[in-house]
Amino acid sequence: MTGTFTLLAIGLLLIALLAVLLRRTESVEDERFSQLSNDSFSGSLRFEERWKDIVERIFGLEDLDFVVSQGSKELLRLFLSERKRIALCWLSEIRNQARTAMRFHVSHARRSRKVVALLELRVALDYFSIRLKCELIAFVLLLRGPVALRGMVGQASHLAEQLRGLLEVASQTEAFAGKTTTQQ
Amino acid sequence: MKTHKALASGAVEDALRDLRDRTLARLDGDFARLVYLASTRDYNSGRYEHDGLSFRFTKQAAEQALRSAHREVFVSLALSTLKHLVAELQQYVRSGCAQPAELLTSWTDSEAYRVLPPAQDDPLTVKLFMSNVKIALAIVGRSWREDPPGRDPLCASQLPPPAR
Repeated sequence: MTGTFTLLAIGLLLIALLAVLLRRTESVEDERFSQLSNDSFSGSLRFEERWKDIVERIFGLEDLDFVVSQGSKELLRLFLSERKRIALCWLSEIRNQARTAMRFHVSHARRSRKVVALLELRVALDYFSIRLKCELIAFVLLLRGPVALRGMVGQASHLAEQLRGLLEVASQTEAFAGKTTTQQ
Repeated sequence: MKTHKALASGAVEDALRDLRDRTLARLDGDFARLVYLASTRDYNSGRYEHDGLSFRFTKQAAEQALRSAHREVFVSLALSTLKHLVAELQQYVRSGCAQPAELLTSWTDSEAYRVLPPAQDDPLTVKLFMSNVKIALAIVGRSWREDPPGRDPLCASQLPPPAR
């Protein structure tokens, strides 16, 4: 009998510990997203301009043309491999930001009383579309090599725009969830 | 409180203007400016120090001005075209800030340029900058082997150091 009570007590303790850990993970995600949205929205114009410039540098043709004009195969090889590496870093950053925004949105939507189905559908579609495009660009990059970077500036810009939209929607959810939870 | 903040912000603006007019304007190109500004940072504490500016303004205003100028110059170089970056680097090498061969070898082999970006800037921008400098060094190194640059008396390392 004492053994059963001990086991029950241990079980309850583990459940409580799990709940605390889950709450902590959520707050860490919230913190990450707040930092992300602060970086992105406090200087919204700066963020947008910086990302436009980065996309243009990585995927644009201007730098490539300049390196080609140097007439060295070795330089061209170095340039293309560096650009490929940076492009993959950029994709990874987009993926991370989208994942953070989505986790934040889901955790707040869970707490919210009124869940707008259309908004949820839009966020989910946007998120999966971003992930799919990231995988597609990464696949093309890995398959065709850095030459595939040529002319990808349009797709990359669109992807960055889409991420910005997702971040905006997720930050709106924060305000919305804040209102609904205070009503409780 | 507002007046205090406004005064503090005014002091930073003044310090920044002073830094641009008296020191940075004397340097030949943005690369030299970046090297100079990065060198005003204490690598242990990450704090920017400049006795002249701290004397004329406050220590905090001087630090803010240096931080702000560093970020400004860095972002402008990091997001510039490769052609512009190569021109800036060539100008820096030509300005005789070090023995050109030594500078190119040291920067290529030990990647000494890694200390140039300001702390806490966007990691992707920093990576892009590092990558572009690596490519620019290869281009400048190649062109220098064909046409070694001359020395120019005005350069970052010949400026009076920011006495600590």
